[in-house]
Amino acid sequence: MLRAEPVLAARGVSRRYGHRRVLFDVNLEILPGQALLLVGPNGAGKTTLLRVLAGLLRPSGGSVERRGSVSMVAHHSMLYDVLTARENLRFFARLHGVARQRVDELLEQLGLAPRADERVAAFSRGMTQRAAIARALLPDPELLLLDEPLTGLDDASSRVVLDVLAALRDRGRAMAIASHQLAELMGLVTAVGFLKEGRLLAVEPTDGRGTDSIMGRYRSLMAHG
Amino acid sequence: MGEMLRAAMAIAVKDLAVEWRTKTALVSSLAFAVLVLAVLFFARDPTAVSAVDVAPGALWVTFTFAAMIGLNRAFLMERENRALDGILLAPVPRTALFLGKVAANLAFVAAVEVVSVPLFVLFYDVPLWDRLPALALVIGTATFAFVVVGTLLSSMVVRTRFSEIMLPLLLLPFLVPPVVGAVQVTARILAGRPLSEAAGWLRLLLAFDIVFFAISTLLFTATLDE
Repeated sequence: MLRAEPVLAARGVSRRYGHRRVLFDVNLEILPGQALLLVGPNGAGKTTLLRVLAGLLRPSGGSVERRGSVSMVAHHSMLYDVLTARENLRFFARLHGVARQRVDELLEQLGLAPRADERVAAFSRGMTQRAAIARALLPDPELLLLDEPLTGLDDASSRVVLDVLAALRDRGRAMAIASHQLAELMGLVTAVGFLKEGRLLAVEPTDGRGTDSIMGRYRSLMAHG
Repeated sequence: MGEMLRAAMAIAVKDLAVEWRTKTALVSSLAFAVLVLAVLFFARDPTAVSAVDVAPGALWVTFTFAAMIGLNRAFLMERENRALDGILLAPVPRTALFLGKVAANLAFVAAVEVVSVPLFVLFYDVPLWDRLPALALVIGTATFAFVVVGTLLSSMVVRTRFSEIMLPLLLLPFLVPPVVGAVQVTARILAGRPLSEAAGWLRLLLAFDIVFFAISTLLFTATLDE
C-alpha cells in the first residue's frame, strides 16, 4: 500500500535561545488525517517545537519541510482586541486571499455569528479561543498546529472546538496539538508524541488505547526515557 | 507585486482602523503638537527674534516628536495578543508588512501635519499660502524619511522591554540629516527665497529617502526573526 506523503517533515531540528538549547535533534513526520498529540512536562519544548514547525521560529539546526498551508492556534489569540471578530477575520482573510463568504461560514460554524460584530476585547476566554481557531481555519490549512487549545474553556466551548477539529481530521487535514489535557483529547488524537527536555522520545499511534495506558507510557518515558 | 501591494494595503487599512478605534496615539500627537507650537511661540521674545527665524525650527521639532508617538505604536499593536504571528503565518511577503506599516504611519503623520500647519500659521503669522506647494514638497520628502527609518527601528525595538524609550534613542541620530535639511529648506521658503537656493538640501532629502527606503526594506525581514 502506498504511504501518504507527509504534510510536514522535521529532520534533526534543534533550537537554541542564546546558549540554552531547548530542542535537540527532533525528527517528526505528520501525515494527512493524523492528529498528533504532543505531551511533556512544562518546559519540555512543546511550544517551541510548534513555533518551529509553523515557521515562526527558525531552527538552529536541521530542517522543516512543509507541503501545503500551515496554520496555528497559540496561547495568544493573534487577534486585535479593538476590532470586532468579523473585522479581525476579514483582515486575515484578505492576507490569505480568502473570500469574505468563508469568514461568515466560520463565524457560524464556531458559534460566533450572533456576536461577530462585537469587539474581541468584550469576548470571554472561550469565545476568544473560538475566534482564534476561526482565524487559523481561514485558509483551510493542510496542517493545523494547536498549543493548549482547550485551556480555560468550559465544557460547551471545549465541545465546539473538539467537534470542529474532529471534522477537520476526518476531512484528511493533519494537526499537531500540544496539551496537558490528555483525557479530553483522547477521542480526537490518532498518535501521541512524548517530549522530554527538548527531545522527542517517541511517537506512537493511539491504536484504541485508553487514557490510563497512554499516561502509564508517559510516566514510564518521563522517568526512564 | 500586485499581491504584495494588496496585502500592504490591507495592513495599512487595519492599522488605521485600530488607531481610529482607540485614537490614543492620534490624540497624544495632536495635543503634543499644539503644546510645542504654543510653548515655543510664547518662549520667544518678539523684540529680539522675528517669528520667521524661529518658525522653521518650531515646525520641525513639532513634526518630529509628534510623529515619534505614532511610530512607537506601529508595532506595539502587533505585540498585543501576538497578532504579528498571525500576519507572519499568512502567505504574504514580509516586505508587504513593512510597506503597509510605512503607508499607515505616513497617513498618521500626515493627519498630524494637516492639523499642525494651520496652527503654525496662526501662531507664527508666517505668509504661507502662496508658498504652500513648496512647503508641501519639503514636508513630504522629510516626513517620508523619518517614517521609513522610524518604521524599521520600531520593528526592531518592539520586542525590547523599554521600546517606548529605545525608539527615540535609536531614531534621533538618524533624523539629524533629514530634519536639518528640512529646517534649511523651510527657512528659505518662509523667507520668500527661491527654492533653487535650497536645491542642495532638497537633493540631500531625496537621497536620504531613496537610500534609507532601500536599506530599510532590505533589513526589515531580519528584524522579524526571533
